[in-house]
Amino acid sequence: MDCFRIQKEKTLYEKLSILSDAAKYDVACTSSGTQRRGDGTGIGNCEKAGICHSFTPDGRCVSLLKILFTNECIFDCKYCINRASNDVERTSFTPDEVCRLTIEFYRRNYIEGLFLSSGIMKSPDYTMRLIYETLYRLRSQYRFQGYIHVKAIPGASQDLIRMTGFLADRMSINLELPTAESLHLLAPHKSRKNILSPMRYVQKKREENTHELALYRHAPQFVPAGQSTQMIIGATPESDYQIIRVAESLYQKFELKRVFYSAFVHVNEDSALPARTDLGPPLLREHRLYQADWLLRYYHFSAEELLSEERPNFNLVLDPKCDWALRHLEYFPVEVNRADYQMLLRVPGIGYTSARRIVRARRTGTLDFTDLKKMGVVLKRALYFVTCKGKMMYPIRMDEDYILRNLLDPREKLPGRLGEITYRQLSLFDDMKIGEVGR
Amino acid sequence: MKRRYICTETMTGVLSAIYDAWTFDRSDQEAGIVFWGSVQQEMFCEYREVREDEKKAEAVRRLIHRHLGEEAELSVGYALLSEDPGKGTAILRMMMEARNLPDGKKIMGHLSHPEVRRVFELSRNVGRETHAWKEFLRFQELEGGILYASITPHNFVLPGIADHFSNRFPLEDFVICDETHASFLIHPKQKPWLIIRDEERKWEIEKSFSEKEKEWQRLWKGFKKSVTIQERKNLKLQQMNMPLRYRGEMIEYRDGEQS
Repeated sequence: MDCFRIQKEKTLYEKLSILSDAAKYDVACTSSGTQRRGDGTGIGNCEKAGICHSFTPDGRCVSLLKILFTNECIFDCKYCINRASNDVERTSFTPDEVCRLTIEFYRRNYIEGLFLSSGIMKSPDYTMRLIYETLYRLRSQYRFQGYIHVKAIPGASQDLIRMTGFLADRMSINLELPTAESLHLLAPHKSRKNILSPMRYVQKKREENTHELALYRHAPQFVPAGQSTQMIIGATPESDYQIIRVAESLYQKFELKRVFYSAFVHVNEDSALPARTDLGPPLLREHRLYQADWLLRYYHFSAEELLSEERPNFNLVLDPKCDWALRHLEYFPVEVNRADYQMLLRVPGIGYTSARRIVRARRTGTLDFTDLKKMGVVLKRALYFVTCKGKMMYPIRMDEDYILRNLLDPREKLPGRLGEITYRQLSLFDDMKIGEVGR
Repeated sequence: MKRRYICTETMTGVLSAIYDAWTFDRSDQEAGIVFWGSVQQEMFCEYREVREDEKKAEAVRRLIHRHLGEEAELSVGYALLSEDPGKGTAILRMMMEARNLPDGKKIMGHLSHPEVRRVFELSRNVGRETHAWKEFLRFQELEGGILYASITPHNFVLPGIADHFSNRFPLEDFVICDETHASFLIHPKQKPWLIIRDEERKWEIEKSFSEKEKEWQRLWKGFKKSVTIQERKNLKLQQMNMPLRYRGEMIEYRDGEQS
């Protein structure tokens, strides 16, 4: 009947193992962005901030039941474990199996909802239709009102994407790689156009939907938690500067809610992929990109401020915000009791929550270093950059090298080789430039 | 002479004590609230027994709602659930401080005042724990389809999670047992929830789990194992996000499993 199916029917346990193992490289597992109360006729609700229900030994949160519908795939993307030319065990869920798993896990408070992605079986449309069918059944027959994150399959028809979008909370289409050339090289069956056009379509539909909702409060919601995307870091030679420029334009032009970065993990051998080393995935680089991403979204930074053509990569030993502050000592120290909100946001050690608290608290009184500490400011970093009532916490020389040396905690663990270089760099007689370390 | 108001450590108790203190000592910065059973005698101090009354409590709630606004109401609500013995005094003094502000509704922003900050910290602490239990609580299905979970919180979080779970599972019968405070949250299908305090610890729930339960637990453990990326292993990060003290009640860590 179906030539892709493997003869012997697998148990639910085996299918779940295979299809969750295959989905694990997708990083997005957030359940945030929708606030919805249950209507009393079914099961589930959503919390705006999202809820993580567990954490795996790699420290990543488990919020959603993250699975592939099938790991059969006609595409041959070189970085992907499920590429058509790989010899891995293939299997598929039925829509009903996915629904039952979701409901039973949800009832026991294991998960916050479903994250459904899929390999491409037969054709993009065929796969998208199966995904739609699953969501439809989950929403209508099982009356599930929890969170659903669904992948739009590149190349699927707009109709299917629209219909699915009304059932899901978040939709994502993976950009996979930062540039069109890299995409062409590593994912020959995908094209930039096939990825960006559904993204644009979802953006447009969401905008229309806001108007509808303004007119009719009970109109069905289209992708209420917005869309997200993901890029693989370290499989291709793009610089950090290129990557955050892409992220910035996605936020600005496509109104994405999140861009995720996924450190490249070697699962396949292919001449187009970088050579295997024993350093493991570039986790620190990924971490710096996330930090920069936060600066773009919540701290009013722009990509140009953080990096440039001349300095295309992040400093691995220092987070991007400290790095920026050290290069712009002319703005510091700032007076906590007077500086405006935008400036407070730029002080290392002050996050957006504490910045807001500071702005509110100083309306009714003047603030001291102890107050800052109690409010959640990380004084260890902030003390070099702020004054309270005109005084710094300790006498500090406003000198880049001096502050840098104090900011770097020798006990902080940096991976392998990097730690040693940092140490050498800190010695008195050496004048290496930190930015070039570890690349 | 400074006064101490003695009450039981319940919501009604604390709010009634605030009512009394507000009536007699409204501008005395020294007045405080202590609980039966944990009173440390101080010198030059007058102790007053509080007559507890739901009417008094309601009056204080209304007062907070009207004059301190929604934000303070929420913070006080959480702070009242705290385990901290100083919670009554902190709330009382915060309310007194609010009278010194031109706009009492801005009180929660006035973080440079130590008592306001105290209430803020208590409420943040309870809020965080409440959220953690929403995350890490695990239900198990008993025979007959009733869902059962037990938790061991520091603060009395049951009122904080009750609405969340009953809204989430309107068609389920479920029971959440707070082992620390010997209390039960009971939600019968399509009915409002209630909390019962079982002071003498007389109750016992017969835990015979349904046949399917074991299988779903096995599936869940299998899922957690297969979504882990070994190359990225980082146990410290895991522990930061999910402190060990929550794991006792999580089915994936029963039977001494480490994952």
